Amino acid sequence: MAETPPSPIKSSIAAALRETATPPSPPPAAPPAAASAAPAGSAPSSAPPPSELVTIKLDGRDVQAKKGANLLEVCLANGVDVSYFCYHPGLSSPAVCRQCLVEVVGQPKLVPACFTPIADKMEVNTATPRVLSIRRQILEFTLVNHPVDCPICDKAGECTLQKQYQDWDHEGSRSSIPKVHKPKMQDLGPHIVLDAERCILCTRCIRVCDEVAGEKQLTMAWRGDREQLTVAPGHKLDNPYSINTVDVCPVGALTSKDFRFTMRAWELFTTPSVCPGCATGCNVEVHHAQGEIWRLVPRENLQVNKYWMCDEGRFTYKDVRHKRLTSARIGGGRGQPAQITSLDKAVTFAAERLEKLASSGASIGLVYSAQTTNEALFALSQVAQKLIARGANIRSYVTGTASKPERADKILRSADTNPNTAGATLFAGAGASDAGALLADLKAGKLKGLWMVGADLPLAEQALADTAPIVDGLELFICQAVSDSALLRRAHVQLPAAAWAEVDGSFTNNKNLVQRLRKSVAPQGDARSHLELISQIAKKANLASGEKWQVSARQAFLQMVSVVSSSLPVGADPAQVVAAGFASAEWGKEFLPVQLRFANSRG
Amino acid sequence: MSTTTQSKTGMKKLAFGMPTPDEIASGGVHGLSTRPKVPPDLMSKLNAAELEEVEDIELPTEPMTINMGPSHPATHGTVRIVLTIDGETVRDSDVQVGYLHRCFEKEAEHATYTQVFPYTDRLNYVSPLLNNVGFALAVEKLIGIVDRLPERAQYIRVIVGEISRITDHLTCLGASAMEVGGFTPFLWMIKVREWLWELLEELTGARLTHSYVRIGGVSQDLPEHFIDKLRATLHKSTSVLTECESLLVKNRIFRDRMDGVAAISAEDAIGLGWTGPCLRSTGVPYDVRKDHPYLVYDRFEFDVPVGSVGDNYDRFAVRLEEIRQSMRILDQAMTQIPAGPVLLDDPRVAMPAKNAVYNTIESMIGHFKLIIDGIKVPAGEVYSYTEGGNGELGFYIVSDGTGRPYRCHVRSPSFIATQSMSKLILGAGIADIIPTFGMINMIGGECDR
Repeated sequence: MAETPPSPIKSSIAAALRETATPPSPPPAAPPAAASAAPAGSAPSSAPPPSELVTIKLDGRDVQAKKGANLLEVCLANGVDVSYFCYHPGLSSPAVCRQCLVEVVGQPKLVPACFTPIADKMEVNTATPRVLSIRRQILEFTLVNHPVDCPICDKAGECTLQKQYQDWDHEGSRSSIPKVHKPKMQDLGPHIVLDAERCILCTRCIRVCDEVAGEKQLTMAWRGDREQLTVAPGHKLDNPYSINTVDVCPVGALTSKDFRFTMRAWELFTTPSVCPGCATGCNVEVHHAQGEIWRLVPRENLQVNKYWMCDEGRFTYKDVRHKRLTSARIGGGRGQPAQITSLDKAVTFAAERLEKLASSGASIGLVYSAQTTNEALFALSQVAQKLIARGANIRSYVTGTASKPERADKILRSADTNPNTAGATLFAGAGASDAGALLADLKAGKLKGLWMVGADLPLAEQALADTAPIVDGLELFICQAVSDSALLRRAHVQLPAAAWAEVDGSFTNNKNLVQRLRKSVAPQGDARSHLELISQIAKKANLASGEKWQVSARQAFLQMVSVVSSSLPVGADPAQVVAAGFASAEWGKEFLPVQLRFANSRG
Repeated sequence: MSTTTQSKTGMKKLAFGMPTPDEIASGGVHGLSTRPKVPPDLMSKLNAAELEEVEDIELPTEPMTINMGPSHPATHGTVRIVLTIDGETVRDSDVQVGYLHRCFEKEAEHATYTQVFPYTDRLNYVSPLLNNVGFALAVEKLIGIVDRLPERAQYIRVIVGEISRITDHLTCLGASAMEVGGFTPFLWMIKVREWLWELLEELTGARLTHSYVRIGGVSQDLPEHFIDKLRATLHKSTSVLTECESLLVKNRIFRDRMDGVAAISAEDAIGLGWTGPCLRSTGVPYDVRKDHPYLVYDRFEFDVPVGSVGDNYDRFAVRLEEIRQSMRILDQAMTQIPAGPVLLDDPRVAMPAKNAVYNTIESMIGHFKLIIDGIKVPAGEVYSYTEGGNGELGFYIVSDGTGRPYRCHVRSPSFIATQSMSKLILGAGIADIIPTFGMINMIGGECDR
């Protein structure tokens, strides 16, 4: 994460407060790697010395916390339900919504909990009649000009305002004057639409732009009940983190153009996973229903992405449906049209020829794509050893999609658009070459056979089509691919692979954290995971049978972790640093998709 | 039927334990070894005088295993009884339930508390409103609003509940009479049931699957003139009931089939967990409405009829009398019912008025949250029980603080009564199975859930 950019005094105070707050619990999915691999600036893991701890009385209960910690965070950490709108754990606290007002004994007025550092012997009451009454009145006030939009509002069902009203107010309005109307459906930028009527003026979106994206694009205009959110003059809400404003919006004022009016939030199922968009590996929740993915939203992981993700990452789900290869094809090569066939026949075809080629001692190229999971790459490395034992001359290559230097920033976006470069480099081994060497070797005719696990080359579509004929000299070209491409169409065996959202597995990100992917939707057509395809070919080619990694992705993971950590001792060598991430990696619990209406986590 | 002597021995031997391997090997499990052995040369030796002597010797036959059900025309309830018979006598039986299992309890975990009501309709489907009320009271007890329920709603719940009890008993009695040969009482009783269901249809919009009760009250007030119509219907029902009674209680054929058949002692009945009319037929006056009054049952005068020997006839007679007692309760309830709201005025529980939902954001949110998330019931567990058509209908609910039950278990009286079927029909004739099963009144929906 970037450091908090220079911001108004209020935010800097709040940021200072936040730093002193109790460190949140570590993320469940990705346990920390070795200390050397931990990202800089992560929360200190050791408990604060006792001298810094103070005791406060919270609703009559003695509670210990760090001196100066944010009172609201102390309340939440101790299970005291204080309602709030404008506070967000990843942002500064401006205390604008007044929803978290609590009573501090000795203070004449109620204080906003999100803006109050705790001090020793402070007595705080959060549920006295006075506090509850104020909380209700603030809600009544917030609702005075709120439109009756729930049936057409995207946020309905995961709306904080709905939740707070039902939990704390549930009384009718006493206002009889007509509501103030504001513009609806304002276009703020390429991804965002604003409904100013629904806005409750919490300023979270402004702070996301200021503090996370570092671009001051949003602001408040006008005053009183005419106050409304707007883009700063001459600006658009077009920063690469703009859709985070939709996530933090407690109501449906900001909606994503991509998601709006597609699905009702409570109908969606959620599966925790990892974004495949770049080497950062932001933790995401995949929201899916009816066998399709409808959106990705960031999942909290303070070591990787905190609470955020970039806009490009959100649209990676579209690739799961785009130009998919759904059935196996054989017999192509040299641009001849291939015949659609059963997966079994295609695998047998590949295995027979691979076995023959290997025993003839020919040189075979194995391509480790950085778009595939650690498990598949590990399996390929295992098969490579067997092929070498058969006498084949194996050359390994690490490929992936093209790097985009213009995309890199110090926030989340990485220039490397492959989610698993670290893993691919590790499993391809020290002697592996890159995509450029692969193309050169193909051109020079140094390879007889080629087996690509992931047909990813750092070439644009047209360039790829122009380059594709260089594979025509191969005797055997096996290509496992998620989507159709010019390169794939020249392969002798074309195997449909499952996309990232359709498999269980793991990616190693650029901080060497091994993070779990979970299967959200069923693979399309005949598609199988890369791991399963490798396993089937290896079995048919008598290269491996009944090995642990062939049983399941989980078994592959366990074997992979033990092999990696036993073969690579701790050290400063690049491979050893990556391997250290594997040593502490865990497969984690099995996770059945939960429908958001049951998840109780959002809104 | 003169099966008493045989059934006595059988009952003692088999009373609900698995037979030991020795017993099975010796044939003792079927009582076969206790009977006189027939000499192999019997037929040649016999003369007329000797034949007189051996009249009581039963000619042994091989025990035969046959299926009764699961779709037998005379078991009103989908049940399979695997019978081991020796001639006409039931030597062993295995009563298998579950053919109408619908995952009620699991479904309930995925529905909001309000959405569970339609499922409860399908528990005891001849008295759906009693199930509605039972479930509502359990949830209300857990929320802690039982004391705040509007009076009129409580009276309406009593009224619809007692109507349902009458329809339940009418179905049970009529069908049983038909199964032992009396078709006329069945038609008459079903006619009366239809009158009552027409009233309920007018009230709830549905003949059978009412889903009428809500957490905090009932979904709508009684229609105009409902009380008058109910009074008139009950009046004409009484005379039909008297006619039916006259056709049955002094009918030699009917009494022969019912008297003394499948008798059970009060101790055994309590031991088996029986409640309701079946338990009362053995002489135990346990009625939840009297012993643990709920709603406004403590304001009514009514008697709890009990039987004496716990046979099929007692179970029949108790139900017949209970119809009359229900009519007594209805009479009083119709007189006492006050005016007022029929649903608790609390936006956390009751749906806001439609007009407010469409025009104010507060009610819109309330409506939305009640529909999508359900009524938030505080975390905890509750067991709440009411007098259902067949006995103590209990709901055990565990809440985790969300709008859906974490666990919802039904103590269904007919499940508990049906577990005794094997014992009751042991030693009885095949023909006794049907009236016994009828009087146990196993309702598939409730038993299998």
